[in-house]
This record gives sequence, structure tokens and C-alpha cells, in this order.
Amino acid sequence: MKKLMILLLLLVAAVSYAAEKRFVVPVGDSPSYGPDNALVTVIEFIDFQ
Amino acid sequence: METFKGKVRLVIKNYPYKYRDFSHIAAEASLAAGDQGKYWEMHDVLIKNSPKLDRESLIKYAKEIGLDVKAFTESVDGRKHAARIERDKKLAVELDLYNTPTFFINGRMVIGERPYEYLKKIIEEELKNAKQ
Repeated sequence: MKKLMILLLLLVAAVSYAAEKRFVVPVGDSPSYGPDNALVTVIEFIDFQ
Repeated sequence: METFKGKVRLVIKNYPYKYRDFSHIAAEASLAAGDQGKYWEMHDVLIKNSPKLDRESLIKYAKEIGLDVKAFTESVDGRKHAARIERDKKLAVELDLYNTPTFFINGRMVIGERPYEYLKKIIEEELKNAKQ
């Protein structure tokens, strides 16, 4: 039971860490829509097929 | 996107998988359309018609959205944008991506197909954070 609790705690910690992590992805010369100084930038990696 | 007009920028990176037949040529087609100022028109057509993305179909779509078909075909056949696509793929590998679509919303990673409402919620959170 104790082990299970520790595992759960670790899992919660891992999830909240993942939620906070921010990646730096360069925009470069990729196609873009919307202003360069937008408050939010959404970068999408796409496979059309 | 229209909901957030002026506040949100969408940037597309290509991550074509090696083992899919038409992923690469479709990425080439999108960038070739971009050269003629019609990236987003082609982007929408490709998504709508996927997975029917063989060379002949792509040329048909190019004609439909009013591209210069000769220039388009030369660009696609010559793999004019191969270096750009490879650069995106290298970046995807560095980020350890294994799925498409993968989104980065102000750097927050969201993996896989999601309902629009889910993405909208994150964008709204980010807009709120940005304004504070």
C-alpha cells in the first residue's frame, strides 16, 4: 500500500512537471499565419498523409 | 484561428514519416504552393483530401486552387524544398517527437489529434498569462 502511494505521488509529480515544461522551438522561415508579435504562437508539426 | 485573429500565430513544420508513401511529396506540394503565395489554400486542400496525395492528385489540387501548374510540378519533381523539410525533420527528431500532429503552444507540448476545444482552452490560458 505504501509503495502504491509513493508511486502515485511520483506519477502526480511527473504529470505536473510535464505540464510546466516549455520547449523552445525556433520559428525560422516556416509557413506562418498571424502576426509575428502575436501573444501566442502555436507551432504544429504536421504530416499531411 | 479566426476566433483569435491578431492574437495567435500558427506556424507549420513538416514531419513526414519515412514509411508513408506520400508524406514527403505532400510537404513539397505545400511549400511549392507557398512559393506562389497559396500555402494555406494548399494546406487546407491536403488535409481535406488526405490520404489521396499521390503526384497526379497533387497536380489536380494545384490546378483547382489556381496555381501555375508548370512551376508547381517542376518544384515538386525537383524536390526544391527538400532541405527545408529535412531541417524540420531534424528538429522533430531533436525534440524526440514520435507523433503527428504535435503542437507547441507557447512551448507547451500537446501530442496527437485533439478536439478543437482542448487546444482552444490552452490558447486561452496562454493569452491570459501573456496579458498579466
